Amino acid sequence: MKKKFLSAFLATAMLATSLTGCGEEKKETTEATTAATTEAAAGDTTAAPADDAAAYDECTITFDWWGGDSRHEATQAAVEAFEAKYPGINVEINFGAWSDWETAKATEYLSGNNPDVQQTNFDWIGKYDADGTTYLDLNTVSDVLDLTQYDEATLAKCVDSKGGQAGVPVSVTGRTFYWNEATFEAAGLSVPTNLDELMAAGPVFKDKLGDNYYPLVIGEYDRAILVAFYLQAQTGKPIIDENNQLTVTQDDLKKGLEFIKSLEDAHVIPTIPYLDGEGADSMDKSQRFINGEYAGIFEWDSSPAKYVSALGDNGDDLVVGNVFPELQSYSKVSLMFSISADTEHPRECAMLLNYLLNDPEGAAIMASERGIPESKAAYEVVNAAGKINPLSAQAHEEVMNSNPLYWNPLFDSSKLKGDTSTYTTVFEQFSYGMDAAGSSYDLDKAAADLYNGYMDALAQ
Amino acid sequence: MNKLKKFGKKNIGFIFIIPWLIGFLVFKAYPFLSSLYYSFTDYNLFTGKSDGFTLQNYKDVFTIAVEKTALITTFKYAFMTVPMKLVFALFIAYILNFKLKGVNLFRTIYYVPSILGGSVAIAVLWKALFNDNGLIRSGFALLGIDAPHFMSDPKWALLMISILRVWQFGSAMVVFLAALKGVPTELYEAAAIDGASKTRQFFSITVPLITPVIFYNLVTQLVQAFQEFNGPYIITRGGPLGSTTLMSLLIYNNAFVSYDMGKASAQAWVLFVILMIFTMISFWSQKHWVYYGDEEN
Repeated sequence: MKKKFLSAFLATAMLATSLTGCGEEKKETTEATTAATTEAAAGDTTAAPADDAAAYDECTITFDWWGGDSRHEATQAAVEAFEAKYPGINVEINFGAWSDWETAKATEYLSGNNPDVQQTNFDWIGKYDADGTTYLDLNTVSDVLDLTQYDEATLAKCVDSKGGQAGVPVSVTGRTFYWNEATFEAAGLSVPTNLDELMAAGPVFKDKLGDNYYPLVIGEYDRAILVAFYLQAQTGKPIIDENNQLTVTQDDLKKGLEFIKSLEDAHVIPTIPYLDGEGADSMDKSQRFINGEYAGIFEWDSSPAKYVSALGDNGDDLVVGNVFPELQSYSKVSLMFSISADTEHPRECAMLLNYLLNDPEGAAIMASERGIPESKAAYEVVNAAGKINPLSAQAHEEVMNSNPLYWNPLFDSSKLKGDTSTYTTVFEQFSYGMDAAGSSYDLDKAAADLYNGYMDALAQ
Repeated sequence: MNKLKKFGKKNIGFIFIIPWLIGFLVFKAYPFLSSLYYSFTDYNLFTGKSDGFTLQNYKDVFTIAVEKTALITTFKYAFMTVPMKLVFALFIAYILNFKLKGVNLFRTIYYVPSILGGSVAIAVLWKALFNDNGLIRSGFALLGIDAPHFMSDPKWALLMISILRVWQFGSAMVVFLAALKGVPTELYEAAAIDGASKTRQFFSITVPLITPVIFYNLVTQLVQAFQEFNGPYIITRGGPLGSTTLMSLLIYNNAFVSYDMGKASAQAWVLFVILMIFTMISFWSQKHWVYYGDEEN
């Protein structure tokens, strides 16, 4: 009998261990980095590095972010340097690509298992911190985290419903145009600086280079932003204001859609069916863009590197354009770092953030992997070291020179942005000229659907 | 101690299945039942808000255009894919049942697509084949034929996704192959002596004797087709114009993009009921066309 019980116990234990094993295997990107020099000490002891008067507890804190390989490498290196500088603070890191990252994060927020320090998106404050209890108010650790390095107005954008500082802005971004100068030269044109020049370029491209050459390429979400820019220039107000009110009417949206249609009609941009026909996941993966057939993109100021890389040997052909005077841009906080409200080590988390964002040593390692640093101290260090992508810097300057307006995170609401959400369906159907059922889809329907989509998102 | 021993003796089986039982209750039964509950609410995953009991989610499946279209598209996909896949798998299995030189190599090669599944690499391959400048359209162009725009024509995109599933016919083929090997050769010999052609032998001997396997493949493939997610997700993301948005993709988008868990749960339950009905019809129908060797009549 004893044997049977023993067998049962062993079977249960074996299963439990095998499950644990599975769990560990799945954490492919999780890696515990240990301090370079750790003094073996049990419990919560206090240590102080020679060059830092601040006291801290020996502890383990968790930190996660998303991004590409170069961002991962820089952040890992910065974390290792932090651990070396502050022996006793162990940082467990977890990172991955953006694809489905938010879905995983959403599950973490739901279960209350979000890490101590985390890279966050600006609109997550509204989404996951609606009651102001998810992220720590960073003002409570401002003795360690130097918030004076940031523009007050930018900091003010990152507050929660209770007025707490939910995140610290890593960088601010906005959209402008980038042009493939070589293709424009082949068409006998210089890159456009205003809407009239762009409109005039469409027919020239068609005549001189062929039907498959377009001065600009924009997908559904780009079109939504361009409509916003176009209408903001007419109203002088953000399309969704600080009070979560839509500042344009359905008729205004109709004008914005007409503007997009005029770009398609003038052979300035390809239609969505034409884009779908290639099936490229993103424009930097598009063979047509790589071949120079699409001679312009409308992108974030932090994104040119991947397009330059996609063009390969012809990367130098990509030049930054200005935000057209007929358009009114907006800028937004592109990324933030936040600390979990549930962390047991707020001070140490703040120390890590301060090191990554403001400390000359940490900032130099992080460089411009998350855009042009918003921290003044970091900007000085990174700029002096020549580590800011020149194209990105120029694009950022163009955006900031265009006096960007306020951007409301509801513009990116999941009801508006996403594969089956308003922007995709409206701009796709409008370009196809029919809806999913095969019925005609005209300007009036598109404007009504876009307007209703906005109202639904704002009512959320 | 005696009591404990007695208890242990009586319940030893139960103790052994406790780990499985815990897993079942936590990871199967609880989500299953809670999704049924959520389907009658407008529960949002994040806000946690729910305004109580409602049947609206179920009504929406049959009235809201996007959901209705996804349901119809799922039916189209299943009824297009399953017959094509079964016929193709049976055809290849039939050929590979002959004593050919290097037949084992061919069997392995034909099974490979099933291993590859709906991976990103396959998405890239499929796009390279079917996009505007892809191999298929280029091939037709060489013949002077202007082939459809598979990636951007709503009328053709679903077929392109279907072909991906049909191409992964390996598992069905292996099952057919095993069944074909079980058909007694003397039946073919007797039929040949009576002058039956190969076609007649196939339809009058082979098919009737492998109907249990056809039935098995039909049910499993039908279930898989109604649950298809990978193909449209990785190749078209449901487009163009929602023409490849199957129910599973819509459920995913509602649950994990819009966080509308109530709606997603209702859609999942509708899909579950549809599958149940089709499975029941299949089981009911087998008495009319499936031949089991141990049955009289």
